[in-house]
Amino acid sequence: MVQDQASRRSVLTAVGGTLGLSVAGCLGDRARAAEGELSGRIVASGSNTVAPITQIAAEDFEADHRHVTVVVDPQGTGAGFSVFCQAASAVQSASREIYDPEARRCDEHGVSYSRYTVGQDGLAIGVHASNDWCRTITLEELRRMWVFQATDEITHWRDVRDDWPDRRMQLHARDSASGTFDYFTEAITGEVGNVRDDYSATSQTDEIWRAVGENPYAFGWGGVGHFRAQQEAGAALRAVKVESDEDGEFYPPEREYIESGRYSPLARPLYFYLNHAMLGDEPDLIGSFARFFINNQHNLAEEVGFYRTADDVLVANHDRLDRALESVGVDPDALSVDRRDP
Amino acid sequence: MSVDVINRVLDRSESRSHEDARNRIFRWLLFGASVLGLVVLTLLIADVLWSAYHGLVTFDIDVRQFLTATSSSRPGRAGFAANILASVLLIAMTAVLAFFLAVGCAIYLTEYAADGRLTRLIEANLANLAGVPSIVYGLLVLALIVNDAGLGSVILAGAIALALLIVPIIIVASIEAIRAVPDGVRDGAYAMGSTRWQTIRHVVLPQAMPGIMTGTILALARAIGETAPLIMVGTLFHATRYPVTTDPASWLYAPFADFSAMPTQIYTWTFLAQREFDALAALGIVVLLSVLVLLYAVAGVIRRRYETDGGQSHD
Repeated sequence: MVQDQASRRSVLTAVGGTLGLSVAGCLGDRARAAEGELSGRIVASGSNTVAPITQIAAEDFEADHRHVTVVVDPQGTGAGFSVFCQAASAVQSASREIYDPEARRCDEHGVSYSRYTVGQDGLAIGVHASNDWCRTITLEELRRMWVFQATDEITHWRDVRDDWPDRRMQLHARDSASGTFDYFTEAITGEVGNVRDDYSATSQTDEIWRAVGENPYAFGWGGVGHFRAQQEAGAALRAVKVESDEDGEFYPPEREYIESGRYSPLARPLYFYLNHAMLGDEPDLIGSFARFFINNQHNLAEEVGFYRTADDVLVANHDRLDRALESVGVDPDALSVDRRDP
Repeated sequence: MSVDVINRVLDRSESRSHEDARNRIFRWLLFGASVLGLVVLTLLIADVLWSAYHGLVTFDIDVRQFLTATSSSRPGRAGFAANILASVLLIAMTAVLAFFLAVGCAIYLTEYAADGRLTRLIEANLANLAGVPSIVYGLLVLALIVNDAGLGSVILAGAIALALLIVPIIIVASIEAIRAVPDGVRDGAYAMGSTRWQTIRHVVLPQAMPGIMTGTILALARAIGETAPLIMVGTLFHATRYPVTTDPASWLYAPFADFSAMPTQIYTWTFLAQREFDALAALGIVVLLSVLVLLYAVAGVIRRRYETDGGQSHD
């Protein structure tokens, strides 16, 4: 028994010693990695919609700087802002602008920030491929269809336009937890969250398009990237041309109309926000990542199925980042990543 | 004998053939009910296997790359290896956290605690806890551990959430297993002059262990498929890095590594627009199901092994 305990103790000592040595070795290793090149950890919170762009920017940045880790942990735009405003993330992706209560929360925690537009997403209005009546839709018709008062009132296609069939509509769209929902309801009804409560809501955009593709009398809205992907996979879908609030014409959700700004209001900008306090703490690490993101934003957005912004938006992003760097006392030309204008 | 009795009763009934028909219908209804679950399960598995096969063919996915690469925004490069490793670490930590706590609690409740009102209240609440939706544990850990204690969205935080989720399940299973040990065995140990702890350690626990182990493994199998609490705790969008490296020292940091487990990566893949990710998700589900089947098989083997030699006490 006594022997047994003694041997156990020696084993414990040996294990403890090994662990201690390896900790020391590891710490030394980390310190060595830090010399000369960018290193550290950047946390990116925010939107699930924008996360693919942030993620691909992060992967490419990590490939260039192998001691940097960018942690992309999306919670949704709203939940992400509460992380961001507690200074727990340096970068916040957002599919809408910050709301006043969220901005106040940032103020309370002393978080100042700047906003960068990195791409655009189109919201498609979609119907079944066999639907031969709903080819165009006006913004007023969309509003009448989707406001809260439409609940149990606008139930048949004929309630929207007189010469449409007297058949019941099946409505599919995103749920209220998404930035997409916030954007659509504000753009169409003029008020965030003003929406009828008898449509089938889902958090999965693919589900919307699959459901619309299976019912000739269905009607849905959702991200155009998902719409195209489902269409290519064989879903019987057709995009409805939507009235533009720019020139009153009707446009389909296609690249040229989205990028030129004519597919408005249903093309929405995608953002990231940058935390200035954290930028001040590690200007080269976080500033370089932001600049790398802006340098490549056109290609990154397109690679994951979104649309590019105009070139002058990219240039404005660069100018804003330079001002942010100056505001925390850093020379914009001193970063590891150089500014690349189009 | 009892069948004879029943038959005699039935003989006396006037419409025997009528009763027979009802008997048969009832039997087939019961049979249908028990087969229904099996049919649904078979359909689900067939659907997953078909999607995985279809994806493999359509997108020309390299299975070896899938099992050895980390996830990526570019579906052509994406793999599942970092997620498999993260799930293994997560479940190992969950097992360590949950097992001793749960078994300790079960031993106390069955062997030490007086059978009073408090004990019964605790046991009733354990049954309630086992029914709490898993996301609630995720929210709890998010608030207390991730944010307030500042641990961050790391593997340890995920393991704590999963451990909280399965501790009540293991306790309930362990209590049943320990109660199933006959009192005569305990009395025998006491008669030999054993203390209470010696009795528990050398007599009760060895006999109860197959039940406890089975309960634990089934609980862990549930934990490994859990998505909601991990999403609450916070996981990586794509697990582009392994939580540990080949450097043995990095294993010390494993509890504090950012991660995405198997189910959370599948969740991310399914809501991305690119169709190729759907195929990856289907493959991921196949891997997850295989791990589950493996765990259930291990539970079965342990149970059988202990059942054959567990009856005799050691020494």
